[in-house]
Amino acid sequence: MTTVTAPAFEPVAARRDWLFVAAAVLATALMVALVLIDDQPASAALLVLGFGLGAAFLKAEFSFTASWRRFLVRGEAGGLLAILLLIAITAVFVVPVAASWPHYGGSIAPIGASLIIGSFVFGIGMQLANACGSGTLYTVGGGSGRMLLALAFFIIGSVLGSISLPTFLNLGGLDPVLASDYFGPWGGLAVTLVSIGIAALGVFAVARGRGGGTVPRRGFLIGAFVIAALMVGVFFAGGHPWSVTFGYTVWGAKLASLAGFDLSRFEFWQWAGPKHALSDSLLGDTASLTNLGMIFGAMAAAAFSAPFARGPWPPVRSLLAAALGGLLMGWGARLGFGCNIGAFVGGVASGSLHGWIWFIAALGGCTIGIKLRPWFGLAVE
Amino acid sequence: MRLAYVIVFLIGMAAILSDHLASPSIGRAVSPQDFAGACAPCGAPCPSKK
Repeated sequence: MTTVTAPAFEPVAARRDWLFVAAAVLATALMVALVLIDDQPASAALLVLGFGLGAAFLKAEFSFTASWRRFLVRGEAGGLLAILLLIAITAVFVVPVAASWPHYGGSIAPIGASLIIGSFVFGIGMQLANACGSGTLYTVGGGSGRMLLALAFFIIGSVLGSISLPTFLNLGGLDPVLASDYFGPWGGLAVTLVSIGIAALGVFAVARGRGGGTVPRRGFLIGAFVIAALMVGVFFAGGHPWSVTFGYTVWGAKLASLAGFDLSRFEFWQWAGPKHALSDSLLGDTASLTNLGMIFGAMAAAAFSAPFARGPWPPVRSLLAAALGGLLMGWGARLGFGCNIGAFVGGVASGSLHGWIWFIAALGGCTIGIKLRPWFGLAVE
Repeated sequence: MRLAYVIVFLIGMAAILSDHLASPSIGRAVSPQDFAGACAPCGAPCPSKK
């Protein structure tokens, strides 16, 4: 009788999943070709930058959700400090350019109950789903079936949020508060960087007080620099800081319209921007372009290094958490004007006060979400 | 899981292509913030304008 044993080390080339590498690259190339036919090089740039973001997030395992959780549970601050560094680098370009150049703008949002409720709910959802807006994109691209489910419910929640948002806006609020409106382009940048520095000092102090580490791992730090550079590229190509979740809302609305739901009777879809997005091509929406590029970038990177999507489906309770988390994130993102990327990173990097309010409220939601994780069989850490 | 990905990929690409080809010819890619009166990334109006 002979016994066949697998080789201890399989060559890297043998583990590459060329089918999915080719599918991801060809899909991106096809979309780039379509927008170039329409003479839109900026759209092509957004697709390519999104592709780079997907690969960078996946390779660096750049997770907002895990960084926040490690900070809240163990006082481990390395990841959160790297995120603040990413925001500071992005702000250096966004604040002065958005305040000085025509056709460029920061990520702004009204300050009120809608923002606080939405970001709090988003925080709960991101700990249940185990990813945020960008995390959902790169883990879906990376071959996680669990996150395919989270994305589907993120999209559903986002459409429900679009229907709810006007009601919550009617609760009242303040117009956006932008540092550059008060201190000019360079003064606004200085105020923004000081606010990030104060936050970093606070995070550092909490970590030291709790005995947690403050040094990000090397790959995460490199990821912060690479992602910041790509985010600056997205800003120059698209005219606004990178945003993720509006793309989900448009995808859901288009699918709902296809199924016969008339969304145009809801106030949100009568506003000029959403109305235009619903009638135009997905490839005419900046958020959708980077989202699609990001999914395929992560898919190419994942399939280039290992067989793609070969893992088993997770337990049902974990899938339930993904679905519920996705739903909460989608609804929360619409009320809170975005996710970690559009509201927190984009908002703070634009010198907009709403970014910090979003962060604090979402951090509060995360504490609830972390407490709920064991109900679904998920580890607290 | 792999089969699920193949199905989602094929349906997704078909949806993107058909949506693009059936939509009006696109100009520059835009965000809802590019439209007058927008006060948020989703195009929501400012509280003072409501």
